[in-house]
Amino acid sequence: MTDTTAASHTAPGTTARGLVADDLEVGYGPTTVLDGLNLTLPAGAFTAIVGPNGCGKSTLVRTLARTLRPRRGAVLLDGRPLTAWRPKQLAQQLAFLPQDPVVPDGVTVRSLVARGRHPYHSPLRQWAPGDDEAVAHAMDVTGVTALADDPLAELSGGQRQRAWIAMTLAQDTPHVLLDEPTSFLDLAHQIDVLHVCRDMRDQGRTVVAVLHDLNQAARYADHLVVMHEGRVHAEGTPDAVLGGDAGARLVGDVFDLACEIATDPQSGTPMVVPLARA
Amino acid sequence: MSAAARGDNLAARREVRLGTAVALGFSRRSARVVLALLAALVVVAAASLALGSLGISPADALAALRGEADVTTTFALERLRGPRLLVGAGVGVALGLAGGLFQTVTRNPLGSPDVIGLSAGAGAGVAVATLLVPGAVPAPVGAVAGAGAAIGLVWLATGTGFSSPARLIVTGIGVAAMATAVTQYVVAVMLRDQGAELAVYVVGSLGSRDLGHVAQIWGALLLLVPCVALLGHRLAVTDMGDPLTDALGARSNQTRTLAIVLSVLLAAAAVAVSGPITFVALTAPHVARLLTRAPGPNLTVSGLTGAVLVVASDLVVQHVPALEGLPVGVVTAGLGGVYLGYLLTTGWKKTRA
Repeated sequence: MTDTTAASHTAPGTTARGLVADDLEVGYGPTTVLDGLNLTLPAGAFTAIVGPNGCGKSTLVRTLARTLRPRRGAVLLDGRPLTAWRPKQLAQQLAFLPQDPVVPDGVTVRSLVARGRHPYHSPLRQWAPGDDEAVAHAMDVTGVTALADDPLAELSGGQRQRAWIAMTLAQDTPHVLLDEPTSFLDLAHQIDVLHVCRDMRDQGRTVVAVLHDLNQAARYADHLVVMHEGRVHAEGTPDAVLGGDAGARLVGDVFDLACEIATDPQSGTPMVVPLARA
Repeated sequence: MSAAARGDNLAARREVRLGTAVALGFSRRSARVVLALLAALVVVAAASLALGSLGISPADALAALRGEADVTTTFALERLRGPRLLVGAGVGVALGLAGGLFQTVTRNPLGSPDVIGLSAGAGAGVAVATLLVPGAVPAPVGAVAGAGAAIGLVWLATGTGFSSPARLIVTGIGVAAMATAVTQYVVAVMLRDQGAELAVYVVGSLGSRDLGHVAQIWGALLLLVPCVALLGHRLAVTDMGDPLTDALGARSNQTRTLAIVLSVLLAAAAVAVSGPITFVALTAPHVARLLTRAPGPNLTVSGLTGAVLVVASDLVVQHVPALEGLPVGVVTAGLGGVYLGYLLTTGWKKTRA
């Protein structure tokens, strides 16, 4: 796989559905992290963004979620730049769970999940039809209904992550962005979260998650975006991106890791096996 | 203001709905706390009117309001006790709201407009207005100008306005130190002649207030409280970090800047009529949080707590022998010091998850 950015480039002004990054340049101070990045996220699919540390994965997902402003270029949602959306309208389309949200003092799971309804409220209307259903449904899908009245601060890491995901689900948006939702969780809870991502996709949402584990990404995602040095190095289905010798070469180029590609005995997806030291 | 009363537990949460256009959320516990604080305020207010020489009993006060009381009672109510009480309550509400707003958006439990130099600036402004260039402007104008200059300096010096809490507080402490230095310089140079007027604006007092002061503080509240109520809706989701606040459409930077501007305006309105009554803005939000046990800004409760604190402290300086005649700021500072000690010794023991 080589650079496929040309294929995914969408000119500004086109009315493509879904999320499109158009010629993004993003940086902090003097550092440029993303440099001329183009990307169209497939609608209704679970996309995993992978790449080595410092490649710009988190910067990309935060820019897609409009918590970072690009220096150049734009993120388009349904053909309209994010900056042209009213913040609350956008929050009804696009939910984002950052990597380490602050746990509010004394908040229970249910009241946290209810905060996901904020985009549907106004100063004089702090309740909207559908609130109760959306909150109950989000807690149900993520399996936190039994914890509804527990303080968030007292939950285990895995339970807490489910509660946060429930909050983004209660936002009831067609697009959900998650920044490293599996980091700092044990293996069982990582798999748990990936199943929740798939469930969200099965409900017709476009799900985008930054993931560290290539094998999990290959196994659970429909679409892989491999980032390297601030650009999209390759993208496509897990088989197309990571399969065979080309996959091994890609991992060598991007991660600087010698490996062979095996087949996951459970899912049949490509599995990266690092070579033993000679 | 019900925006601030959003309760924690959805099961205990209720909405007041008017048709489909209006639905305000509150929790039962917050509602009970609000009622209890209102009752406490009525009690301290009645005591404040009734105690001491020229005391006005509740019956006399009602008669005076109907215009049926004797001249002495009417005079005491309209010129002495009434303005003092109303200014105190208004200042308390303003300071409680100011502290609640400030602590919410800076996520700093020790934050208040005092920390970023508002009071110190007001003190310096009065020192300059009354001593250095006497007669140029009245003391309250000097206070507001000094407070405004200090906050303006903070805004410029951070380089990012009010959007970075850490820079705001560090810069504010520096500006407050500079303003204190100005006050000390002026006092040292000009010495004691006009010290009495200055003392009011360095410590804060409710003595000799008149109906003009009442109009000032309650006029400011009439203007600012609706703005606070509108912002309270967004403030309720700002305690999860900026990225998530933005993701929910609540504009973290804009919300924080607006909250601090409102906080500063409220505190400045209080300073202008009473001088800097310290520690009320710092303490009221904590007391509110302890009472409601609810996350979020708790602004309604914080404002009422401020009113009770100030009116009760003023009652103390009017009637407790050892403290009689002292400016009310001495008592609130004492209370605040004790509370701060309590916070430092017990508050940090609770580990934050």
